Amino acid sequence: MLAAVDPTAAAAGLVPGMPLADARSFVPGLVTRPAEPEADRAALLRLAEWCGRYSPWTAPDDAAGIKLDITGCAHLWGGEAALAADLSRRLLRQAIAHRIAVAGTLGAAWALAHFAAQDGAPAIPPPQQVREALAPLPVEALRLDPATVAGLRRVGLRRIGDLVPMPRDALARRFGAKGVADNVIRRLDQLDGTAPEPLSPLGAAPTRRVRLSFAEPIADPAELAAATRRLAGELVRWLGRDGVGARRIGLGFHRVDGRVEHIRLGTARPSRDPAHLAGLLLARLDTIDPGLGVEDMILAAFAVEPLGAEQCGFAGDPAAATATGLAPLLDRLAAQLGARALSRLEPRDSHIPERASVPVVMADNTCPAPHPNPPPHAGEGRSRSDRAGVGLSRSKPPRPVRLFEPPEPVEAFWVLPDDPPFRFFWRRRRHLVAEADGPERIAEEWWRPGAAGDAALGRDDAIRDYYRVEDETGRRFWLFRAGLPGTGRPPRWFVHGIFA
Amino acid sequence: MSDAANLAVLRDRIRRIEQPAAGINGVVPFGCAALDCALPGGGLARGAVHEILGQAGDEEDGAAAAGFAASIIARLGAGPVLWCLKRPDLYGPGLLAHGLGPARLVLVSAPRDDRILWAVEEGLRAARAAGLAAVVGEVGRLPMVAGRRLQLAAERTGAIALLLRRWRSGDEAAAERNRPSAAVTRWRIASLPAAEIPGEKGIGRPRWRVELLRCRGGAPASWEMEVADATGHVCVPAELADRPPARRYSLGPSLRRAG
Repeated sequence: MLAAVDPTAAAAGLVPGMPLADARSFVPGLVTRPAEPEADRAALLRLAEWCGRYSPWTAPDDAAGIKLDITGCAHLWGGEAALAADLSRRLLRQAIAHRIAVAGTLGAAWALAHFAAQDGAPAIPPPQQVREALAPLPVEALRLDPATVAGLRRVGLRRIGDLVPMPRDALARRFGAKGVADNVIRRLDQLDGTAPEPLSPLGAAPTRRVRLSFAEPIADPAELAAATRRLAGELVRWLGRDGVGARRIGLGFHRVDGRVEHIRLGTARPSRDPAHLAGLLLARLDTIDPGLGVEDMILAAFAVEPLGAEQCGFAGDPAAATATGLAPLLDRLAAQLGARALSRLEPRDSHIPERASVPVVMADNTCPAPHPNPPPHAGEGRSRSDRAGVGLSRSKPPRPVRLFEPPEPVEAFWVLPDDPPFRFFWRRRRHLVAEADGPERIAEEWWRPGAAGDAALGRDDAIRDYYRVEDETGRRFWLFRAGLPGTGRPPRWFVHGIFA
Repeated sequence: MSDAANLAVLRDRIRRIEQPAAGINGVVPFGCAALDCALPGGGLARGAVHEILGQAGDEEDGAAAAGFAASIIARLGAGPVLWCLKRPDLYGPGLLAHGLGPARLVLVSAPRDDRILWAVEEGLRAARAAGLAAVVGEVGRLPMVAGRRLQLAAERTGAIALLLRRWRSGDEAAAERNRPSAAVTRWRIASLPAAEIPGEKGIGRPRWRVELLRCRGGAPASWEMEVADATGHVCVPAELADRPPARRYSLGPSLRRAG
C-alpha cells in the first residue's frame, strides 16, 4: 500500500492508498521506501516547534499540517504576506514543499491551505474577500469525514459556496445528526468564526517572550553568549514593566536545519536580575549543539511571580552585586545539576526511622510541607505530639548519622530469639558483636493503609526490633530484626544505619 | 643583625607564606585544649579546605567523618550548610545528636566527584553572599588541581570547606588514601570501642580516635576522645574524669507503638 507519493509518481498516475503490486504494474521501476509514520510525526513536531519563531502558538495539525496563531505577531514581520514569504523562503531552504494560507479562522485557513494555495503562492485573501475565496472550494475543505462528503455530493452540494447560503436548519436536519465530531454545521460555523476553535499550542504558552534573529546564522559560543545576555536584558525590561520576576524560563535556539534546542530552567525565587538569569543560561550553554548555525533565539518566561520594584544598587557597589542571599547560588546549582539535585532534610512526625527525616526535593516545595500522612489524632495535645516525637528530641535513644534506605540485609547469627546477633556478615565482611543495646521495638503506624490490614506476613515484618551494636573494631551499627520470633518464619536481619 | 634574629624573621615570613589562611580568616577553636594546641593559630583555620577520612569499613560509609564534620559545623555560626554528596543518606536525628540541626542543611546530590567538587567550589565562592556557615563535599577522588581551586575559593570568602573522603571499595581507598592533596589539614576519624560505664551493660560512652594526619604548619597528632555531643563539643576523656557518667538510655523491651 502506498502511503505517500512524490510529484513524479503522482504524474504517473499513482495515488496514496494504492496497493503496491498495482503501483508496480503501473510503473515497473518504482522506487519505494517503507513508510515511517512515527518518524514523520516526530519531524512534523520538530517543524511545528521551529515555527515557534513566528508565534508561541504553534501545533501540528493531523498528518502533514502545522497551524500557527499569528494574531498580533504578523506586524513584527511587516504584515501577513511578508511573514508568509519569510516562512516560505526558510522552508524552501530546508527543501520542504509547503502551501501557506492565512485567514481569520483556523477553518478558513485550513481550507485555503489545502485547496487554494499553490506551491510558492500563499493564499492570503483580504478579510472581506475570504468568503469569495472559500466559495469555489470543494466541500472536502470543510474537514468532514468521507461519509459526510459523499452524502453532500450525492445531493449535489459540491462546493462550499453551495452550502453557505442554505438554511442551517435544513442542513441540520439532513446532516447534523450524523456525527457530532464532523457535523457540517459546526464546520461551517468554524469556517466563518461563529464557533470558536482555539489552538492548543505545543508546550506551555509563555507569559513573556523576546526574540533575537540573526542575519547570518551564528554558531560561535561567544556570540551565542552575547546574544543570551542581550535577550536576558530585554526580557528583564519587560518583566520589570509588568512588576514580576521569572520563576521558569526557557531559551530556544532555532537552528538553520529546522531543529530547535532548548535550555529550560527554574529559579528558587522570582528573579529580574539580568546578570543572574543570563548566568544561569550561560552555565548551560555548552549543552547546546548549534549545528550549522542558529538563526533565531527566543527567550521566554513561562512562570512569573509578582516582584516589587527593587533598588539594584549603585553601579560599582560591590555589596549590591552579592547581597542577594542563598537563592542565586541554589539557582546556579539547580541549573547545572538539575532541580532534583537539591533537597533538604525535613523532620516528619513519625516514629518510623526512615519517615522521621526525609530528603525533600526543594523544587517540589520551597516551604516545609505539612505532614503528608498525619496520624488521626495529631494535634490532640502537646504531650501526645511530644511522645510521638518528631524524631529529633534529645531524650530519645541514639540515632545513626547515616541511614540506609532501603535497609541492607545482613546474615546474622544469634543464640536466643530475643537476643541481638553475636556475629553478622555485611558487605562480605564479618563483624563480631562486642556490645549491644536494645531492643527498641518500633511497630508500623497502624493508621497507614496496608500496614495492619495486610496479610499476616506483612504484619510480622512491620514490627522491628532495633539494636545498637558495636563490633570488635568499635564501629557502631543500627541493626533490626524484622518479624517476631515464634511465628514460624525465620526473622530477617537488616542494618539500617551507622553511628558516628 | 644576628643570625638567630635573621632566622626568626625568615621563619616568621615563611610561616606567613605557608599559611596565609590562618592569618587572614582566623580560626575556629575546638574548645578542647589538646586539639587546639596541635593546630597552628589555636584552632581549625577558616577560609581553608579540611579533609576528613574514615577508617577501615567506614571509609565507604563515612559515618564517623560525618559526625565529626557535624561537630565542627556546630561551632561555626547559624547559617545554612551546603552538603554535596552522591546519595542523600544523611539522617537528621543522628546529625542533631552531634550538634548539627538538619534544618540548616541544603543537600546537593550529584552523581560524580567532579560535579560535587564543582558544587563545593560554587558554594565556597558564594559563601559570603549566601551566608553559608560551611560547605561539605563527599568525594572519592580529589585531584590536586581541584583541591587547589577549592582552597583558593575558600581563602577568598573565608568559608570552611570540609571534604569527607568516601571510597566505594577497599581498593579505591587504598589507592587514594595516602595521595597528597591541597587541603590544609587531613583528619582521620575512627570509631573506637565505647568506654565502659561501670556497673552498666551494653554500649557505654562512644569514642573516636581522632588523628590529625597532615596539618600545614603543624605536626601530626592523635587523640582518643569522646564522640561529639549534641552541642558539637568534643573532648578528651581525661579532661573530665570527674564528670558523672553520661545518662544512659535504658531500652527495655518496651513496646513502642504509636497510638
